Amino acid sequence: MKIVKIYEDSCVYCHLCEVACIVEHSQSKDIIKAFKRETKPIARCSAEFNYPLSYSVMCRHCDDAPCIEACQTGAMHRDERGYVVVNEDKCVGCWMCIMACPYGVIKKDERREVWGLSTKCDLCPDRETPACVEACPNNALMFEEV
Amino acid sequence: MKIVIIGNSVACINAIEAIREKDKISQIIAVSDEQSRAYSHPLLPNLVIGDISRSDERFYYRSRNFYEKNKVKTVLGKKVVGISSQNRYIKLENDEKISYDRLIITAGGKPFIPKMDGVELEGVHTLTNIKSADKLKKDLINIKKCVVVGGGLIGSKIAEKLAKHGVKVTLVELMKRVLFPVLDDTGAEYIHKELKSLGVKLILGDSVVKLDGNKRVKKAVLSSGKSIDTDAVIVSVGVKPNLEFINESGIEINRGIIVNDYMQTNIDTIYAAGDVTEAYDIVTSQKRPIPILPLAARQGRIAGLNIEGENVKYGGGFPTNSITIGKISFISMGIVDTDKLEILKIKKDGEYRKFIIDDNKLVGMILVGNIEKAGMFNWMIQNRFDVSWLKDTFLNSDFGWQYFSKAFRILRFDRKIK
Ligand SMILES: Cc1cc2nc3c(=O)[nH]c(=O)nc-3n(C[C@H](O)[C@H](O)[C@H](O)COP(=O)(O)OP(=O)(O)OC[C@H]3O[C@@H](n4cnc5c(N)ncnc54)[C@H](O)[C@@H]3O)c2cc1C
Ligand code: SF4
Ligand code: SF4
Ligand code: SF4
Repeated sequence: MKIVKIYEDSCVYCHLCEVACIVEHSQSKDIIKAFKRETKPIARCSAEFNYPLSYSVMCRHCDDAPCIEACQTGAMHRDERGYVVVNEDKCVGCWMCIMACPYGVIKKDERREVWGLSTKCDLCPDRETPACVEACPNNALMFEEV
Repeated sequence: MKIVIIGNSVACINAIEAIREKDKISQIIAVSDEQSRAYSHPLLPNLVIGDISRSDERFYYRSRNFYEKNKVKTVLGKKVVGISSQNRYIKLENDEKISYDRLIITAGGKPFIPKMDGVELEGVHTLTNIKSADKLKKDLINIKKCVVVGGGLIGSKIAEKLAKHGVKVTLVELMKRVLFPVLDDTGAEYIHKELKSLGVKLILGDSVVKLDGNKRVKKAVLSSGKSIDTDAVIVSVGVKPNLEFINESGIEINRGIIVNDYMQTNIDTIYAAGDVTEAYDIVTSQKRPIPILPLAARQGRIAGLNIEGENVKYGGGFPTNSITIGKISFISMGIVDTDKLEILKIKKDGEYRKFIIDDNKLVGMILVGNIEKAGMFNWMIQNRFDVSWLKDTFLNSDFGWQYFSKAFRILRFDRKIK
């Protein structure tokens, strides 16, 4: 299965992956609207830094996904493509998936009125090449087989 | 093969999914004394106050068509009263028998009710299934004041929800803090504050010894001699495995059904998983029931796979909790309070971090506030990871992959090490 592979030696901590991810998951998929007018989505990848190291990390789409096992509502599930995604209409923001994810790549979105929303990489279901991979100027993220 | 599963909840559903990954042919029958399709028990307090209703899909663990899709026959609203392991059948309360080739017991737990005068009075509730939630919900019109007995997970949650709903709640906890096994004093202080700000009155280090009233409960009497006027009492002092129907089956039990690493009981054809079992706790190195949802799911899956001949080992579990009370979210796991082991902790603006380390292995932790990396510590505990070179970074708010060695990080990112 292809996932986003991480090549840390090529990362220059430019955050373009995060920008692309935010735009891809926005209502309009337009960068200005996504950043200035709409509710800005949370980036599913995180560029992390500890000089001279930097890398962007996101869900590894585990075979034995512990996040699915821990989910109390079945919101966290494997889709038809085999990737691990959140069903927003089922998520109740209990953060049990966060408690279980061995990579620490699930984020809390606490902006919904009633239920929190677990937010993670969905491997861009509307695209052939993930947005972060396409946006990376240095091939520090590549869409490849693991 | 004919596979019968007792219980129709988390462990059962995960067993079904595992079986169907390998085997589309075997017959599967799920038997439960509840009427509903599998649902989320942690949402019961929300159900009581009407945050969520039974017509909301969120409440259910799997979609309506799950059973059809997986070719599972359900027998609902029927209690299992016995097992004949020699003749391989289970017996229902109406004397009906269902034969099996393989049996999985996922009967979960039930509330522990302490022996005390007055527990049979009207207005005394528990909260572990839909039936008890419906009963409490219906009774809400009679409840202005309520005493919650026991400040564990269920007690703290229902106290919070009822207080938000406008009920005057008094929470009585025997120990010196709520959520005793999953928080230390510092961590519990956050929750005490939240509960108090919602108007919950906390009585700690005291216990309810007697309930008074004519037909309906009117008063709770404490061991200190205090007495509290109340319209209702919710008993939430713990759960224990459902074991009545095990009686003469020959299945070995202790506090729960004893299982080996393959989720198999002492009888080859019978497996057990979830809250009903007593499985290996890798942190305390003993077998004991750990009634939490993620372990019920894992054990159910393993039982299902092993019935299909996969030889998958459980490898042990430990308690993990993710709880939100009021505005505070925390995650804790393993051993959280001890003075015998190495402890690293820090309390700073909006967060509390604590780690318990035994001979350079992480055995427990608490994160309050900043919780997003919690699962990385879960992995370290589960895999008995040597943290000697890493532990100095645990207290950093930005703890993450940047603190690992490059070689290890790359292997993990590439999924070369599980
Ligand atoms: C209010 C509440 C809040 C919770 N919150 C959390 C939480 O935040 N985090 C967490 O990890 N866990 C939580 N839990 C625990 C979690 O719900 C359980 O660990 C999980 O449901 C266990 O699943 P199980 O399949 O083992 O058993 P259960 O879910 O208990 O299901 C067992 C089923 O078997 C049926 N059954 C029992 N005996 C018989 C019989 N003789 N015949 C027929 N059927 C029978 C029962 O009626 C039940 O439907 C909570 C539980 C409750 C009640
Ligand atoms: S969210 Fe975490 S646990 Fe779930 S599949 Fe992704 S990396 Fe694995
Ligand atoms: S936060 Fe949402 S996706 Fe995560 S475990 Fe809870 S319900 Fe499931
Ligand atoms: S693959 Fe898509 S969802 Fe995942 S991090 Fe990249 S842009 Fe975001």
